[in-house]
Amino acid sequence: MPHRNEIELNVVVNGQPVLVKANVEAPVSTLIEHALKQSGNSGQPIANWELRNASGQILDPTRKIEDYNLQSGATLFLNLKAGIGG
Amino acid sequence: MSVVQYADPSVSRRKFDRELAEYRALGQEYRRRGWFLVDFEFPRVLVALCAPNIKPSAVVMGVVFDYTNYDASPPSVRIVNPFTGEPYKFKDLPNPLNRALPVQEIPIPGMPKEQKMLLGSAQPYMQAYGPDEVPFLCLAGVREYHDHPAHSGDLWELHRASGAGRLVRLLELIYRYGIEPISGFGVQLVPQVGLNYGPPPS
Repeated sequence: MPHRNEIELNVVVNGQPVLVKANVEAPVSTLIEHALKQSGNSGQPIANWELRNASGQILDPTRKIEDYNLQSGATLFLNLKAGIGG
Repeated sequence: MSVVQYADPSVSRRKFDRELAEYRALGQEYRRRGWFLVDFEFPRVLVALCAPNIKPSAVVMGVVFDYTNYDASPPSVRIVNPFTGEPYKFKDLPNPLNRALPVQEIPIPGMPKEQKMLLGSAQPYMQAYGPDEVPFLCLAGVREYHDHPAHSGDLWELHRASGAGRLVRLLELIYRYGIEPISGFGVQLVPQVGLNYGPPPS
């Protein structure tokens, strides 16, 4: 049985969906860390990634997951930032 | 420009199929954003990007990805006319995918130093040598970026493991800088003033 603080989120990492268990009291950065680990992404620090919800809002990695009022089963999108380029 | 397939074609094809399968798994979500998968046959994918938030909604641009040699080599990315598939010249681009640069504070001569002029500017992700050239997307994870001599120090191998060349990642960036900022239609009216006459006298 899942802990009452635990939710399961569908994180789409560069297009690849992974199911990530998260503690709502933990910072968003831990969710990013788990999603990257589960999807086998390596080589780029967390700061180079950006997590957004379905409506495009960027989730601040330093804030708690519960601040965003996410429900179990919600889909988030984690993408490598554009970088300097141009 | 056609590229010779030197990587094992079965590997490139399998990775191409994975990109498509993952895209399709969330196809409804992407369509809601205005992404339409128009054409896909290894090694190319054409996606049309629309602006669904304006009325009437607009088909803004097409993007062609070429996954030849993927992922020994990153995909080629071109912004194209979504109806013909022809790459846009720089002068014809719907928009150059501008990114805002940090605002600069410039002191105003003769004014107290607390009063500064704020100067905002933008840099395009689409680059070309001239208005009649086909531009390229100047981003790590794109073949044209890594093939450019100016980026010989930023190898594809440094970005490959983090999925920099993946279809959805590149679409997300093009969408973010090319479609999301669209807030409506820009209309320019040029009024012409002339003299209005009644019936001519007999």
